[in-house]
Amino acid sequence: METLVIIPAKNESQKIVEVIGEVKTAIGSAGDVLVVDDGSTDNTFEVARLAGAITLRHLINRGQGAALRTGISYALKQNYNQVVFFDADGQMRAEEIPLMLERLKAGDLQVVLGSRFLGKIVDMPLSKLITLKLALLFTRLTSGLKLTDTHNGFQAWTRVALQKLALRQDRQAYASELLSEIKKNNLRYQELPVTIIYSDYSKQKGQSIFNAFNIVWDLFIKR
Amino acid sequence: MLIKIILLIIVAIIVLRLIFRFKGKDLDVLAFISWLAIWVLAAVIVVFPELTSFIASRVGIGRGADLVVYLSIIFIFYLLFRLLLRLERIEKNITQITSHLALKEKDSPHDR
Repeated sequence: METLVIIPAKNESQKIVEVIGEVKTAIGSAGDVLVVDDGSTDNTFEVARLAGAITLRHLINRGQGAALRTGISYALKQNYNQVVFFDADGQMRAEEIPLMLERLKAGDLQVVLGSRFLGKIVDMPLSKLITLKLALLFTRLTSGLKLTDTHNGFQAWTRVALQKLALRQDRQAYASELLSEIKKNNLRYQELPVTIIYSDYSKQKGQSIFNAFNIVWDLFIKR
Repeated sequence: MLIKIILLIIVAIIVLRLIFRFKGKDLDVLAFISWLAIWVLAAVIVVFPELTSFIASRVGIGRGADLVVYLSIIFIFYLLFRLLLRLERIEKNITQITSHLALKEKDSPHDR
């Protein structure tokens, strides 16, 4: 199979069916949708399965980084050629998935990183903007990559690129780790404008401002 | 004098429990020796508190008690650091197991 869209999800039973539907429409028959249930306490897993996604389940919550890694292991085992990371909360637009895949192929790239600051943002809360900008500054310094958006979960990777990754961070610091790995392996990457929509649903589920500090803690002190 | 006896009895009880744990295979040799050394040192300081004053004045710290506190804090920080590392390792192991189970569950037939 060509493409796998990995959607890590925790307690998204409200939104996941809609998201799976949109992603399936966007990729058509050339791809599969994988939902990795990261220890949900609701019925996200069953609901996703019924909606037609391939499903994997973490019995306990290990973090978005860990869920993605499980998804990546699956993708590599099943020999998918392209992998897209997509969020379960409805903040991303599935219509942009084909754009990402096109850019991956057209640019002969190994990674495409979505950037909301190049693209479009709808209704971002100020606290989130501040957190992101701070994280951006920090990550640009530590990863060495010149990016406009360092914490965007909307990404596309080739199989070859994924095989080179050595990922260890389980929780929010995984985003910064992905970038360091790109730098370390000298992967060919480009940013692509994407849209991120902050709905009431996703805002209430979102990261707190303290997560920026958690990321620093994870990367510096837990090393 | 009485306080010294009480403290020594406490240390003796701790050492006895230490030996018991060691015999019961709860502690490995290295850990046993290390902790034993610490408690023997504690006993020595209880019996000869002037020792700490002596060393303290040699290294330029005011009182023996201060020296004991400083050294203890350094030791505790070190222990804490090692503990955090252990915890980190355990967390990573748990994730590995969780991920493995998730992938394995996929391979076995579903009930539908």
